[in-house]
Parts: sequence; structure tokens; C-alpha cells
Amino acid sequence: MLPPFPTEKKVKNGMCTAQKDWGMQDIEAAVARHPAHRGSLIPALQDLQETCGYLAPEALAVLAKHLSISVNEIYGVATFYTQFRFSKPARHKIQVCQGTACHVRGGHMVLEEFEQMLDVKAGEATKDGQVDLERVACLGCCALAPVITVDGLVHANMGTRKVPAILAPLGVKEESKAT
Amino acid sequence: MKLSINGIEVVAQSGDTVLDAATRKGLSIQHLCTHKALKPFGACRMCLVEIDGMRGYPPSCTTPAAEGMVVRTNTEALRKLQRNILGLTMLEHPSACLVCGKRARCEEYRSKPEKAGRTTGCHTCNNMKHCSVRTMTEDVGLERLPVPPLYHERPLERSNPFIDRDLNLCILCGLCVRICKKHQGEGVIDFVQRGSHTHIGEAFGHTLKEAGCTFCGSCVDACPTGTLSDRFAKWYGNPDHVSATTCAFCGEGCAVLTDSVEGKLLALHSAESFPICVVGRFAAAELLNSAERFLVPKIRVGKNLREVTRDAAVAAVAEQLGNYRGSSFAFVCDTFSTLEDRRVFEQFTREVMQSPNFVQVTVDAKGAGQATLPEGVKAAVLTGALLSPEALRGLDYVVLIDFLPSAVLEVAHAVFPASVFAEVSGSFSDGSGTFRPLRRISDAPGQSLPDWQTVGLWAEAMGAPQLTFAASEEITAQLAIETQARVARNEAPAPSQDITKCPATFRGHALATFVPGLREFDPDAPKAVQVVASTSEDGPFRILSKEEIVPNTFKLVIHAPAVAKRAKAGQFCIAMADETSERVPYTLCDWDAEAGTITLVVLEKGQSSRKLILLPEGGRLAHVTGPLGIPFEVKNYGRVALAGGCYGVGAVGPVARALRAAGNHVTVAVEARSHYLTYLSKQLADASDEFIQTTIDGSTGFKGHAVDAIEANLKAGGHYDLVVAIGCPFMMMLVSELTKPLNIPTQVSLNPIMLDGTGMCGACRVTVGDSVKFACVDGPFFDAHLVDWEEVRDRRQAYSHEEVQSVGLSAPVTVIEKPVDQHHCVAH
Repeated sequence: MLPPFPTEKKVKNGMCTAQKDWGMQDIEAAVARHPAHRGSLIPALQDLQETCGYLAPEALAVLAKHLSISVNEIYGVATFYTQFRFSKPARHKIQVCQGTACHVRGGHMVLEEFEQMLDVKAGEATKDGQVDLERVACLGCCALAPVITVDGLVHANMGTRKVPAILAPLGVKEESKAT
Repeated sequence: MKLSINGIEVVAQSGDTVLDAATRKGLSIQHLCTHKALKPFGACRMCLVEIDGMRGYPPSCTTPAAEGMVVRTNTEALRKLQRNILGLTMLEHPSACLVCGKRARCEEYRSKPEKAGRTTGCHTCNNMKHCSVRTMTEDVGLERLPVPPLYHERPLERSNPFIDRDLNLCILCGLCVRICKKHQGEGVIDFVQRGSHTHIGEAFGHTLKEAGCTFCGSCVDACPTGTLSDRFAKWYGNPDHVSATTCAFCGEGCAVLTDSVEGKLLALHSAESFPICVVGRFAAAELLNSAERFLVPKIRVGKNLREVTRDAAVAAVAEQLGNYRGSSFAFVCDTFSTLEDRRVFEQFTREVMQSPNFVQVTVDAKGAGQATLPEGVKAAVLTGALLSPEALRGLDYVVLIDFLPSAVLEVAHAVFPASVFAEVSGSFSDGSGTFRPLRRISDAPGQSLPDWQTVGLWAEAMGAPQLTFAASEEITAQLAIETQARVARNEAPAPSQDITKCPATFRGHALATFVPGLREFDPDAPKAVQVVASTSEDGPFRILSKEEIVPNTFKLVIHAPAVAKRAKAGQFCIAMADETSERVPYTLCDWDAEAGTITLVVLEKGQSSRKLILLPEGGRLAHVTGPLGIPFEVKNYGRVALAGGCYGVGAVGPVARALRAAGNHVTVAVEARSHYLTYLSKQLADASDEFIQTTIDGSTGFKGHAVDAIEANLKAGGHYDLVVAIGCPFMMMLVSELTKPLNIPTQVSLNPIMLDGTGMCGACRVTVGDSVKFACVDGPFFDAHLVDWEEVRDRRQAYSHEEVQSVGLSAPVTVIEKPVDQHHCVAH
């Protein structure tokens, strides 16, 4: 039996979308909701990600036993889909649109600015676990390009100069910008 | 039912696919993802056919044969499709050698694959001789690639015991994934990620061992490329014999097929529908090929066991044992000995020694068992580590017939080397009491003999010729037993795949002592270490930077002020990664006298270069000596062409710069197999008047070899007063062949095996014209037209067996960093 996963307090302003408190009993409950056959794999994975915020190794181990599919095979299936993640989500999620309209209006420069300020590449979380930086193909509001979302909230007509103001409330200061 | 394939009438059985029906008739259809033990998959699309009345090109592996079908497999349209499909399949596989114009010459000059870390071409691929992909490119006539190949730069995975995995060679056929699922139920490996990132892997980036692999080797056997390989056997070449025998390491008695080459056992494979265990598949061959095998008889003289002739050893044992006839003698063996051996042992004990003390240890499922000696025994014969030295210490005389060292050596008075398992023929009694045949497949090392023969020699010397036999079959006849090979099991119970239940002992020896890969499964066993990197702060020869500039080729900057201070263009140094590594010469590719640094370009090729490139930044080499050799004679020749290939590319720079400074017009032509293998291009372009980058597959620059580029320049009316070639012997030989009929003076930098580098040992001898030269003090540059290239090749291969043995240990290839004893750090 694994010890319960260390949990973290939700942030006060209620912007947190992904960080959850969960323990092994939550995993077991989530897994038990799905019938024990191969067809349950994807819905069960979605359920686990909803429960834990990501696909934790201990969660996949429980699921593997329940469905009689090896963890290795489950991992193979899950990595096929971009909807699943395998690392603990950060407190905040920033999605930077790289769709056609956003690209034309400088979305790639916005992404580069975020990468530089956060000292991460798109798809990674900052070392302090504060921010996840994601690139997305289209957020469906091309008229507002370039757009980003911060914890689900859309910020329109972005530009590199607006990046520090976006990051400041998340605890990232301009001085920490990589040199 | 009957169908027509290419106009030939073929009779198919119910349930046959079109591919089955064709194969049954002996008609070949290309296929990659079909495997006899697996259900059709239909992934590779190589087996497409045309069938009348069916739309498009159905895959023959998934299309059921039907009455009256008219099938064509050899139309031009199909061949074109196959070429395209295979061309796309090969895009992520190092494919330059397959489309190389000099392939036939190259494979004639180097008939065996050469060792490497990451493989970037066929001639450094362990799978070269039995590669189905390679054969297929020939069959479908794939001569060029549709677009430049993509190399994924994946690290070579060698942190597992027994198995190397180089995913850069993988074509994603999926055979390993499917065979694993079939044989192990829940698969250990699967496709991970998608699109161009798809690769074979385990959950969360675990190693095979962490993912629960039982090391049955099914995936290695199924892999059509060199991606998955048996670390021990991979460089020994293609098996020349496949023989059927019984695995004799436990009572299971699995029917196996053995691979052997030139009398050397390489691997065991299951002859049944189930995989065998790790001990059978991997460990058995490594055990028999252990470098620690006994080779010659020995007799104790004082404190030491001294090598003697077999006759002398037999005479000594016969004389001594003659003093212990009766119950003061005991013969101790275990049930790993063949029935024939045991019959001779028993007869020797009872008839020759007139003793009742024939002790047979019955071993348990893991192969272990301990004997106890009857009271009053003063002399004993042992066929393994079956008694502790304490139990034997009170004895007057101990004779050991064995194949590997153990604590018994401390007390033994005579030792005879024994042939074991696949080196003997005879009968083996399995757990159910059925007699199984053992066949002699491989040659025992040195003067080893089957045990019955050794004991027969003693008996003869003691006046009992009745125990002398010409062959083990004569003893089998006396035993009056019949052996039967196990009928291949197609139904459970399959042999255990639980590593904790596999045999761990053979003739009293812990297998893990001699098969380092097995230590990985015992948390308490000391792990085998292939490299110990010294990282102490003080001392010279620190690696200041290390970079894998292109796959398998590393640039090392080493702190070696004494070398840097005196270095001149064309000179080399000799470097040793640790105290036991070879002394390998490396050309000085750059140096900085002020900073006291030298730069080497190192190709991972064998154990010593592997050790060197595994050293971490900040780690220290045991030794660097140099500069050695005669510097290149720098003067104004006029127009000079420099050709560089492989690791030689790094060595071209200093010579080019020096020649240009002396007023020459310098052309530099360097070759690489493909675009992802080019390096130092910018520096060499700056150091030359004309720079030509060639690639063998034409993916960038001039298509062809460096020699082709020089030839093209000559044909276009260019002329050279001197040509210099630095690279592998094959490449330098080609340059020499081009310039010899044209009488263009040509210098080559020879790279034979060296030891001291000062002209003492003679290891680096080369024949140049009528004279014998030492490359270390007379070279490295010689007149190419006078070099005996066959001799250069043969002398470089002189220790290939030892080299293969040293890289072929099954333990993971890992580095342990530790500060070393300062006594060893004194500058030489």
C-alpha cells in the first residue's frame, strides 16, 4: 500500500482548476466505477485524470489490476492522446494559442515570451510547480487573436508586453526572467 | 480449395490466408510484420497483392484464401508500391549503407560487422548478416530514398541486463510488442506516444527490468532489425549451426535449439511454443564462454597450483589415489553430471578404488545441493563446488574436475578442466525421470575433456583399462537406456518465467558469479560495473567537455598541458580511460598550448573507447601520453587535397590549417553516411580553399564518398600535387587506388593497434613497400601506394575475438563515479 499522495492547498483566489486533494481511496473509487473489461480503458483514464489532475503511476497500477491490462500497455494507449498528462499539474495553467490567426498576429512571439519568462519550454511546468505552459492549436475565438487562457479565462489581443502583467498575479516577477 | 497465384495452381487449406497458401507452395511474398507464432496483423503493407475482383491491393497476410481466387504478386505496380512503402519505412532507419555505391567492395573488405555503440550503418550493425529489411531492399530494388532520412537521436539503452536496445534502428513493425503480449500475457512493452514520436517503450520510461520483463528473449528473436540485441552474442556474427538439444540447467528439460558459430555457443532458443527462461536463453551461453574457464590441468606445488601436461597430471593423480583405495576414498558429483559420467564415476569408485563412497548430490529446483562426506574419508574427487573448503580441509588429497573457479581451489591438489553442457554428448535425466539427449554442439576451451574421459585416463593409469571408451555412446549402450527429446510442448505448463524460480546454481557454482547480468535480479549481489570513473578533484587528464557531436562520435576536450605544449599537426596521443583499458591512439584534432588542452574525436568502437566516452565531464582519464608520431611534413606542395572520413574528419583540420598557412591551395573533402553524421563542416570550410561535404546517401552535399568528390574534381580538369587521406583503412585504400594510376603522391594516416607508442613493442607494425615500419615512431603518415592494405586490415582484426568478448558482458553498461585513491593519480 502506497502512502497517500502529498496534497497541496488550493490557491485562495479560486483560480485553481487542476490541483486536487486525493488519496488511494479516491483512485479505487474512480476505478470501481468502470466495468472490468478492456473497453473501459479510456473512460477510466479520463475519470482518473479528473480525480488526480494527472495519470499518477499509482493510479495506473490500480487500473491495470482492475482491467487486467499491463501498466505498460495502458501507458502506451494513454500517451497516444494529448488529453492525458503524466506529471503533477502546476497550480496555474496558461494556454497560448498557436492557431493560424494567432500565429499571423504574433502568437509565436507571445509563446516565446512566456517560455523565456518562465524558463520552461511549452508543454512543461515551472520548477516551483506554479505554472504549466501549454501550446494549443485553436481556442475558437480567432477574432480576438492572439489569445491565451489563464486557468480557463481568455485574455484577448495579447502581446509580448502584456506577458508580465499576466504573470504577476501568479507569483512570477519580471526579475526572474531568464538572462 | 484451389487458387491461382501468378498463374500457378496452389492448394490452400481451410483457414489459410493468401500468404499462407503461397508460402506453402514455396512462393515468396515480401512481408515484415508476419510471424509464425502470431496472428496476422496487416501493418507493414509489404505483402500487398492483386486479386481479381477485389478493389485495390489487399494485404495477403489478412486476406483469407478462397476457391478460384486469381492472385498476382509480382506485377510492376506492386513492386513500385513496395519500393515506396519500404522507402518510407526506412526513413527512420540508418539506411545509407543500403543505397551506397561502394557497398559490395566494403562488405568484401570487411566481411564481419564492426562493433559500435549506436549503429549508423549496416557495417557497424550486429544484425547485418541476418537482417530481413536489408534483404528486402535488395529484393524490391530500393536504390534511393524518397526524402532524406530522419534520425531521432535516441539514446542507446544499455541499462538492462542481457539486452541492448537502439531505438534509432526501429522500424516500428510491432513484432516485439506482439510476441511479448503472446508469451507474457500482459505486455512489458508497447507503442508509446504517437506520430513521429512513436517508439517502443515501457510505462513512465521504466527500464525493461523495472517494467517486469522476464528476459525470455522473445522480442530479441523476433526483431527483424538490429534494434534489440543480445549483448553477449551480438558481435560474434551469424550462427553457422543451429542444433537441437536439451537444456540441462534444471529438471524442466526444455527442448532447445542452439545457435553456434565456429564451435562457440551463442544462445539457446525455445524449440517449443513457449519461451525458455533467462538462464537458458541468455545465461547458459555466457557461462560456457566465461573468460574464467579452466584451460589446463594443474597440480599443487606448495602453495600454488601449477600448470602441467595432462599426462603428468594423470600420472600424479593415479599415484596419489593409489594410496587411498578402500573406504578412505570418496567420489562426489551432483545430478548435473550426465548419466554416462555418473556411471563411469561409480565404476571408478567401486571397481578401481574399491570404495563404497560414491556420493551423488541430488540438486534442488534451483540447482543447489551440498554433499556430506562419509566418516574416515581421506581422499576425494569432486566435480564442482559441492563441498565447502572447511569440509575438505581435513583431507589428505582432493582432486577437482570442474570448469570454473571456486573456493575448492584453495584446498585442491589437482585440477582437471571439464567440458560441460553443450560441449558433451550424453543423457540427462529430467525432473520427471525421463532421459533426454544432450548433444555436443560447441568446443570446450583449452584442454577440457568430458568427465568420463578424464576419469577413464586415471583408471587406465591405475591399471584398469575397462573404463576407457571411444565415445560416450559406448557408455550409453552399457547403461541400456533410451533417450527421447521432449516432444515440443504446445500446451501449458510452460517453463517458469519467474526469475526468482529459475536455476541459480550449476555444479555448485552460483551462476551470477560468472554471468554478471543475473546479478541484477538479486538485490544483495554486488553489481557488475563496466566503468569506474575517477572524479577526484586533483590530478591531470580531466575531461573538460564531452559532446556527442554526431551519433556514436564524441568530441572530448582533455586537460593535458604537456601534450598541448608540444603538439604539431598530424601527431597523436595515446589515451587510457582507466587502468585496465587498452592504450588507444587518437589523433590530436586540436590543442591549446596556453590553456593546456587537447581535443580528441573518439568513435565508440570497443570496450576501451566505450569506457572513454562513458567518462563524465569532470572525470579523469588514467593516462594520456603524447604528442607521438612524426608531425606531418608541412611545406608548399602546391595544390593539396585532403580526404577525411568518420573519426578521421576531426584529424583533417590541423593538417589543413598548417598546409594552408604554408601557401598551399587546400581542398578538403569529408564524407559522412548521411546528413545527420556531418560534423566540423564550418571549421573545415574555414580552414580550406575549397570544402566539399559528401554524403553516401546524398542527403546533403555531394552524393558519394570523399574519394568520389576528388575523382570528380580530377575529371573536371583539376590537378593535385598531393593527396592526404585520414579515415578508416577502407576509405584510405580507396583514395590510394584512385591516385596510384595517376601518380599523385598520396599520404595516409595509418591507425593500427598500438601499445607503448615508442617503437618498443612492434604491435603497430605495417609493411610499406619492402620495409617494415612502426606506425607509432615512423608514422602515422605513410606513402599510400606502398601500404599493404590487406595486412593493415588483418592486423587490426588480430584481437577481434578478445575485443568481442570484452564488450559482450551481459551486465548493464553503467558508470560509477567515485574519487580514486590519490596514489594512482600521480602524473606519469
